[in-house]
Amino acid sequence: MPVTENESWRPKILAFCCNWCTYTGADLAGLSRMKYPADVRIIRVPCSSRVNPQFIIRAFQKGCDGVLVCGCHPGDCHYCSGNYYTRRRFMLMKRLLEYNGLDPRRFTARWISGSEAAKFRDTIIEATENIRALGPMERSPENE
Amino acid sequence: MNDAQELLRQSARRLLESGGVSLVIGWESARGSERTRPAFIRSPEEAERLVWNRHCVNSTAKYLLNYRFAAEKTAVCARDCDTRAINRMIADKQLGREQIYIIGLPCPGMENAACLRCRHRNPLVYDELIGSPAEEQDPGGRFAGVEELEALPVQERRRFWQEQFSRCIRCYACRNVCPACSCRECYADQYRTGWQGKQMNAEENRIYGLTRAYHVGDRCIECGECERVCPMGIPVMLQTGKILRDINAIYGSCECGLSSEEIPVLGSYELGDLDEFN
Repeated sequence: MPVTENESWRPKILAFCCNWCTYTGADLAGLSRMKYPADVRIIRVPCSSRVNPQFIIRAFQKGCDGVLVCGCHPGDCHYCSGNYYTRRRFMLMKRLLEYNGLDPRRFTARWISGSEAAKFRDTIIEATENIRALGPMERSPENE
Repeated sequence: MNDAQELLRQSARRLLESGGVSLVIGWESARGSERTRPAFIRSPEEAERLVWNRHCVNSTAKYLLNYRFAAEKTAVCARDCDTRAINRMIADKQLGREQIYIIGLPCPGMENAACLRCRHRNPLVYDELIGSPAEEQDPGGRFAGVEELEALPVQERRRFWQEQFSRCIRCYACRNVCPACSCRECYADQYRTGWQGKQMNAEENRIYGLTRAYHVGDRCIECGECERVCPMGIPVMLQTGKILRDINAIYGSCECGLSSEEIPVLGSYELGDLDEFN
């Protein structure tokens, strides 16, 4: 369904944000009154390594057009080593999803620290623009 | 191979009579002289049933998990792929090395598509070896199928996998035969409304293959059994192959099942790992 047929379509982007860094960064973006599209829905997780790769698949099946996984920079994980596992996991999962036919612009992972409010804002703006250009995610009848 | 077959039967007899073994898992004839099926030999007289020929395609190792708690040891006829499966199960803490007796069999390759790609013909671990060492081959093209698919545009790949998995009937043969799939409670047997469970419909089937492949992930030993047993002819190895190819490309050469003490790639990390998520 091309975007122009339905002008009121807004992308749905799900962002998994780690509590200690990214979520704090998002909070700072809010406090600093930074403007970014309201199409993102944030799920706060204790660590980016909490994100099971199945969450990503499910998000796309249940109606999301884009998914972000954001956490602390490697080396700064609140739980010391969580994001090292995240890094390996999503390097592989991203490639596997694309291999199965997911457009690469729909899934992104990024390291955003607690003070990088501007980076959070820029990430959301970039993701929203990419998804808006791509259009809605292909749906299956089972998931309507 | 006829001599080896006789030696194998003698070993089985000996083990069952006095070797502290209560079961020998091997192959026996089925449906005429061509095909074989797994054999479970429990007495020295039955050892006559064992065969060793070019039609012994089934992997015998996975059956060991059924006999984990047997009072005596279980012997298993193991080619290289079976020994890698055994290493996999020991590494996953599903089996103890002391519970099994491995009869190693160098393998010339079976009447099986996966054998054309085989890179290891000699068993890696064994308690006794029957037959002379087989000549190794290096067929190349380990990830040829995966690379071919990667070269297609995104929409074509989506269509390809949609079409392949539309045939999936969720029989779980791929899971049952896989040595890396040994969870007591498989995610695909649970009725989990929020996640992939045993719900069967086109959308669930579309992601079943890739979800199971990711669960196996970096532990796949590339034995090819999953693809062989699929009744619908789905190229299952193209999923697990993709993950292994990426691991090889990013984290260095990786081949699983070579030892029973390897640390999986996804279960470890390096500080200097490649990072493209800036």
